[in-house]
Amino acid sequence: MLGNITLGQYYPGDSLVHRLDPRTKILVTLLLIVAIFLAKTALGYVSLSILVLLVIALARLPYLLVFRSIKPLALIIILTLGLHLFLGQGEKVIWSYKFISITEEGLQMGVKMSMRLILLLMFSSILTFTTSPIVLTDGIESLLRPFRKIGVPAHELAMMMTIALRFIPTLLEETDRIVKAQTARGADFASGNILQKAKNMLPILIPLFISAFRRADDLAIAMEARCYRGGEGRTRMHQLAYGMRDGGAFVFAFLVLGLELFLRWNPSLTLPF
Amino acid sequence: MENSQKKPIIEIKNLTHTYTDTEDRQVKALDSVTLDIAEGEFVAIIGANGSGKSTLARHLNALLLPDGGNCLVDGKDTLEEDNLWDIRQTVGMVFQNPDNQIVAAIVEEDVAFGPENIGVEPEEIRRRVRKALETVGMTHYTHHAPHLLSGGQKQRIAIAGTLALGSRVIVLDEPTAMLDPRGRKEIMETMKMLNRERGITVVYITHYMVEAMEADRVVVMDHGKVAFQGTPRKVFSKVDRLEKLGLEAPLAAEFAFQLRQAGGDIPEDIITDEELAEALCH
Amino acid sequence: MSLKLENVSYTYMPGTPYEHQALKNVNLEIRKGEFVALIGHTGSGKSTLVQHLNGLLHPTKGVATIDGTDMAGKKKEAKEARNKVGMVFQYPEHQLFAETVFEDVAFGPRNLGLSEEEVQQRVRDALKFVGLDFDTYVNRSPFGLSGGQMRRVAIAGVVAMNPDYLILDEPSAGLDPGARNAVFREIEELYKKRKIGIIMVTHSMEEAAKFATRLLVISNGEVILDGKPERIFREDKARLLEVGMDVPQVFKLADLLRSKGMRLPNDITDSAVLLQEIRKRKGW
Repeated sequence: MLGNITLGQYYPGDSLVHRLDPRTKILVTLLLIVAIFLAKTALGYVSLSILVLLVIALARLPYLLVFRSIKPLALIIILTLGLHLFLGQGEKVIWSYKFISITEEGLQMGVKMSMRLILLLMFSSILTFTTSPIVLTDGIESLLRPFRKIGVPAHELAMMMTIALRFIPTLLEETDRIVKAQTARGADFASGNILQKAKNMLPILIPLFISAFRRADDLAIAMEARCYRGGEGRTRMHQLAYGMRDGGAFVFAFLVLGLELFLRWNPSLTLPF
Repeated sequence: MENSQKKPIIEIKNLTHTYTDTEDRQVKALDSVTLDIAEGEFVAIIGANGSGKSTLARHLNALLLPDGGNCLVDGKDTLEEDNLWDIRQTVGMVFQNPDNQIVAAIVEEDVAFGPENIGVEPEEIRRRVRKALETVGMTHYTHHAPHLLSGGQKQRIAIAGTLALGSRVIVLDEPTAMLDPRGRKEIMETMKMLNRERGITVVYITHYMVEAMEADRVVVMDHGKVAFQGTPRKVFSKVDRLEKLGLEAPLAAEFAFQLRQAGGDIPEDIITDEELAEALCH
Repeated sequence: MSLKLENVSYTYMPGTPYEHQALKNVNLEIRKGEFVALIGHTGSGKSTLVQHLNGLLHPTKGVATIDGTDMAGKKKEAKEARNKVGMVFQYPEHQLFAETVFEDVAFGPRNLGLSEEEVQQRVRDALKFVGLDFDTYVNRSPFGLSGGQMRRVAIAGVVAMNPDYLILDEPSAGLDPGARNAVFREIEELYKKRKIGIIMVTHSMEEAAKFATRLLVISNGEVILDGKPERIFREDKARLLEVGMDVPQVFKLADLLRSKGMRLPNDITDSAVLLQEIRKRKGW
């Protein structure tokens, strides 16, 4: 049943990484992403790759699970690699055939760019694997709070995400039911050209929209009845609190950042091979 | 009625609610309704679709405001804006569709929604949530996702939400219409318990006469007015009046009525099978 | 001519932590002209069962056939066979989508590839069956109708497919007594005039007793009782209560009167008959 789908890709656990404050995890992930973009030399990339493997081990996530998170962007990664490989300009030609030639510079550039994407995907999926969507929302709200003064609707954004998380399974169930009901009336969603296919979707989309609006209406009334009046004066049952381990995580992230900076400005430090 | 001496917690005086229908006509959803509800009372409201039951319910916690007359909750007029949050805390609402009133993706977070809105301290929220879930027998589901619960369980979460808000009155607008018999029983049992053991005032709108029979008082609505009211015995023995309003009487009352019509010697106030059997087989 | 399930088992999400066997080796044959009521509490497997009867779900094990054609097939004949079974889902008004009542009811017949004249005729007949006047309603938006009328338009949309078998999942849910009686009057007329097979999922023992010619009780993915409603309500009361079901009010009242010493025939299933019997005993 569609209703059983788990949202996001949270992988429940009790590791050190799981227990970090969500704000810590979001900020550390951002710092590490900066570090990825600072990396320039092979040593830089190798050190970050080792780091990813270490963090996966620390979070007690199955390696395969995290590697699989690359899949949705696999095509783009391959494309990036290919473009640099075949179209990259450079002097040292490694291999050529007719008008195609692969240069060492092109190869290096291609590998670096794909590594960036892969590392980026892996770090951010570690964040979502170890943080439930609800906790993640709390973290985002808390981080955005200081920006309320300049008009960032932190509470409203968080409330929207909370409600989305709550209603996605309900709407998926509803979609399933509508699809079945229209199928039972002989609807055909597979055949025809794109235009016809789009038109064939209307008997599903229209009831779904109507239902979503009806639910939104009901929910707004129910929220109002329960004294909802926006973020002003609102408290939370679970409050986020930084602990010792969060301090440790920040120190660690800054060390990584420092290391990448150091390697960037000292390109003479290379791998021994 | 044992509660009749007490000061009413809800006083409705000449309440009128007008709306404009799709053809631009002014329709009175409520037409000068006057009704008191005493603290600790269990009142059932019945009536055909469009009789004004739901509109009335929404006036009780200021989701709607009167166009004429007044609605007082614990002495506070819903028309005065300063009273709004007090009134909404005093009167909790449970709606028909269990899916459309749960806000959060975790049970305890949802129960905490009300107290969070009124700025209760985190420690106190946790205490209230724990107690509310315990009261409705849902402690085991504290960390569950609501969409995997049964309809009856979802409605109990909604009831817990009003308890955590500190509501002394719970208004339920057809809470069992979308539930199966088991869920209907769960809700009825929960509300009876809250009424008897916690002194919660219950206003229970329903299509199910069996449920209304459990109330202290039944109010019958018709075309925006209170058609008649009284104890379940008084209301449900008026078989012909109920039928005229598109409502069904319990089988025993219906039989008693038919037998009386046929000249049978049957008392007028029979509403249960037992009473009918007693009258027929004494 | 029948709907047939042979050794049908169905498992949701096999091989995952959510794995759940919803049907266990069900054998069942429903013929045209039968009015079957299907009862069982939520989660008993009854909605999984009905979805097998019109090919929306295919058995994990076993075969589901319509008039001998396997519904699980990919071929055209399997699809045509599935079109012989109409299905009215719970709260069917939530699946309305067209701008006018006509267009919504016409959706099914159009999908059958009928000519515009035939479609028109089908819509006309279907609306008549559900008691909605063609000229008054065809050009109205279904979304401006009352709850009961929307439900009837949705039912008309399925009736317009001219199904040989019609599945109704709690057709009266959420309706007030007036609208409920109207919907049942129409279902009964449809059944009597077209002599189709009807399978109705319900929570109401009263509805089951009043309309069905056959009662199926399902519990834990198995059909545990199958027979005439009056016989099951009379003889298997204990078993029904055990699986969270009940017997109709009339049976309860008759039982109570018997236990208090009133001599009543054993086969009372209808309130009018019971009333008649009481009057006879009492001489009123």
